[in-house]
Amino acid sequence: MDYDFKMKTQKERTKVEDLFNYEGCKVGRGTYGHVYKAKWKETSDGKEYALKQIDGTGLSMSACREIALLRELKHQNVITLIRVFLSHTDRKVFLLIDYAEHDLWHIIKFHRAAKAAKKQVVVPRGMVKSLLYQIFDGIHYLHSNWVLHRDLKPANILVMGDGPERGRVKIADMGFARLFNAPLKPLADLDPVVVTFWYRAPELLLGARHYTKAIDIWAIGCIFAELLTSEPIFHCRQEDIKTSNPYHHDQLDRIFNVMGFPQDKDWEDIKKMPEHHTLTKDFKRSSYSTCSLAKYMDRHKIKPDSKAFHLLQKLLLMDPNKRITSEQAMQDAYFQEEPLPTQDVFAGCPIPYPKREFLTDDDQEDKSDTKRQQQQAAAQQQQQQQQQQAQQQQQQSQLQAQAQAQQQQQQQQAQQQQQQQQQHSHEPNSKRVRLSGPGGGPQPNQQVHPGQQQQQDFHQQQVAAAAAAQQQQQQQQQVQAQQMMFNQQQQNFQQRF
Amino acid sequence: MAGNFWQSSHSQQWILDRQDLIRERQYDLQILTEEEYQKVFIFFANVIQVLGEQLKLRQQVIATATVYFKRFYARNSLKNIDPLLLAPTCILLASKVEEFGVISNSRLISICQSVIKSKFSYAYTTDFPYRTNHILECEFYLLENLDCCLIVYQPYRPLLQLVQDMGHDDQLLTLSWRIVNDSLRTDVCLLYPPYQIAIACLQIACVILQKDSQKSWFAELNVDLDKVQEIVRAIVNLFELWKDWKEKDEIQMLLAKIPKPKPAPQR
Ligand SMILES: Nc1ncnc2c1ncn2[C@@H]1O[C@H](COP(=O)(O)OP(=O)(O)OP(=O)(O)O)[C@@H](O)[C@H]1O
Ligand SMILES: [Mg+2]
Repeated sequence: MDYDFKMKTQKERTKVEDLFNYEGCKVGRGTYGHVYKAKWKETSDGKEYALKQIDGTGLSMSACREIALLRELKHQNVITLIRVFLSHTDRKVFLLIDYAEHDLWHIIKFHRAAKAAKKQVVVPRGMVKSLLYQIFDGIHYLHSNWVLHRDLKPANILVMGDGPERGRVKIADMGFARLFNAPLKPLADLDPVVVTFWYRAPELLLGARHYTKAIDIWAIGCIFAELLTSEPIFHCRQEDIKTSNPYHHDQLDRIFNVMGFPQDKDWEDIKKMPEHHTLTKDFKRSSYSTCSLAKYMDRHKIKPDSKAFHLLQKLLLMDPNKRITSEQAMQDAYFQEEPLPTQDVFAGCPIPYPKREFLTDDDQEDKSDTKRQQQQAAAQQQQQQQQQQAQQQQQQSQLQAQAQAQQQQQQQQAQQQQQQQQQHSHEPNSKRVRLSGPGGGPQPNQQVHPGQQQQQDFHQQQVAAAAAAQQQQQQQQQVQAQQMMFNQQQQNFQQRF
Repeated sequence: MAGNFWQSSHSQQWILDRQDLIRERQYDLQILTEEEYQKVFIFFANVIQVLGEQLKLRQQVIATATVYFKRFYARNSLKNIDPLLLAPTCILLASKVEEFGVISNSRLISICQSVIKSKFSYAYTTDFPYRTNHILECEFYLLENLDCCLIVYQPYRPLLQLVQDMGHDDQLLTLSWRIVNDSLRTDVCLLYPPYQIAIACLQIACVILQKDSQKSWFAELNVDLDKVQEIVRAIVNLFELWKDWKEKDEIQMLLAKIPKPKPAPQR
């Protein structure tokens, strides 16, 4: 490589740290990178950007795919890639993208917490409908460009906060080169990452080798149900997921428990699925004879004769060939009925959800659904240790508060267990393994224990969780103070591409 | 992305103007004649093709790598990066983008070494001089110079549709497909949209196979026939050049002549 060429390009190249302030402003941690909230250094416009620093060095395949696709895509409901920064010295890759203050994972979590605390969250009546409509709008654009998302889940559906694009859905993380997407390559060979199975279509769980548009549609159905009920519809224990095999007994069991076992006429090609023989071996139709989506949703106060339910039913069809397309979905009667979907999903009302909080370096903003299992276990252990330490360090005066919090939590626990008994054994009662950092805040229904926790440790854990919750509260206040500086007026920014 | 070509970065940023291209090459064209310059690119297109085949990549990936290569030098002198380094770098990047599994760095290097020895010893008497760190460094420069435009539309897909629409046989498809591969040894991929290139290649194939009856079919296509003729001319010129070119005798001289990168000053 030519020396002059190197020197010349080096001089011309702008460094991300010269243009943007982002140090100490980490807001997210994904499977493939850290996300920072960034602000322009020179100009005083208060506009916020998200800066995604991709893990590791150099250009991984997933980084390449993300850059390649985002560079081409342009739709109001798909996240925009504004610029790419390559740092040659340390071989780091940064993506500059729209900053979205909210996402469905946090929004749903907020509603769950409120529900558990028997509190109301005031949102416009049509919010879920508006969210869903815009998700379809974005997915329709992707699908008509033959881009399959392949990893739709609440964490990847972002929502813009106050500003010129207030309340607009932005689909993130598309075309993710999770290796198991590679055409012609069986899922089994590839990805060791535990991605969540909750949003996975039944055909994938039965060994389908190729991603399709219908797989994205199923995931949207799951997200829709979760928006309506605040519970992941196909919630399932994740501890013992064997990633080397797409077939996942517990996840299928959960799906049948909600949907019932598919009749032959419902899904004729089910016999052609690679794992069909395992299915017939492991499952009996009769065990699910009383289950149906209508009953499940009815239990969650969604009437089977509502337009919302009718649409949901068309998205969550077991047979992928029968699921409707995003285009058909957008024409559905649900969207013609009052209240009509709005551009701003918050319809001008105040946004009840907290802003993103800054994470410190050792925090894990964990979405249990995206972690490697081993990491999970290790992190859990660490967390437990930390919590125990924290607990020991607590002052006498705080012990009382802890005891109270503990009591509260136990009440919660009891309530949940009651609910659970009324419902199915795997009812989603927040069994997600969540290692919440300061982002979590004191959540009444937060459980820090993995599902298989021994009774003995259990008590200790609860106390520890209460202590952790307190710490979080303090940190949260600090973070809020910090955030004040980030609420200035917004101006326009010339996009580079 | 089989989606909308007209909104793609390929269409909006990378369909170049011929004058522009000549301007950018001025420095190199003071050292090489136009014909010599084209011959250098024919040679390296071959290098990329053989590397790709050895790595068992699909033609789509090889074509994308070749277009990256040509795009880089459409904006840079041959002096800036040794084409022998850029060629495998383009392969590496294209294979990631096209999602065909990651090629391990060590495999890439060892294939480069063996291919240079076994297939291109008439051009290179020394071993392949680069290592993984060189290629990875080069990859960043490549991505930067491509302005992160990584999705390349190729003539293959429109070609398949055209041949199908014509209701024609495998022989026609095979031949026109090969002409599309050959077209990567010209500048047409920098100057024309892929569907025009597909039509031109199909036309040439029809002429070679003496399928005169297809004339009216071409006339009915909604396409700028002048452009198609320009492409046909460029490809036919390539065939002419190829006919008389004794690559094996000439290439060492040509490679010696191309402007070389200047190493960092010694302290
Ligand atoms: N544009 C954005 N604006 C604000 N926050 C964001 C943005 N993009 C991502 N985040 C936050 O950072 C987290 C991780 O980012 P992202 O989803 O891009 O990473 P990932 O590596 O794809 O992870 P995963 O596989 O878990 O989706 C998100 O869940 C979200 O909380
Ligand atoms: Mg994500």
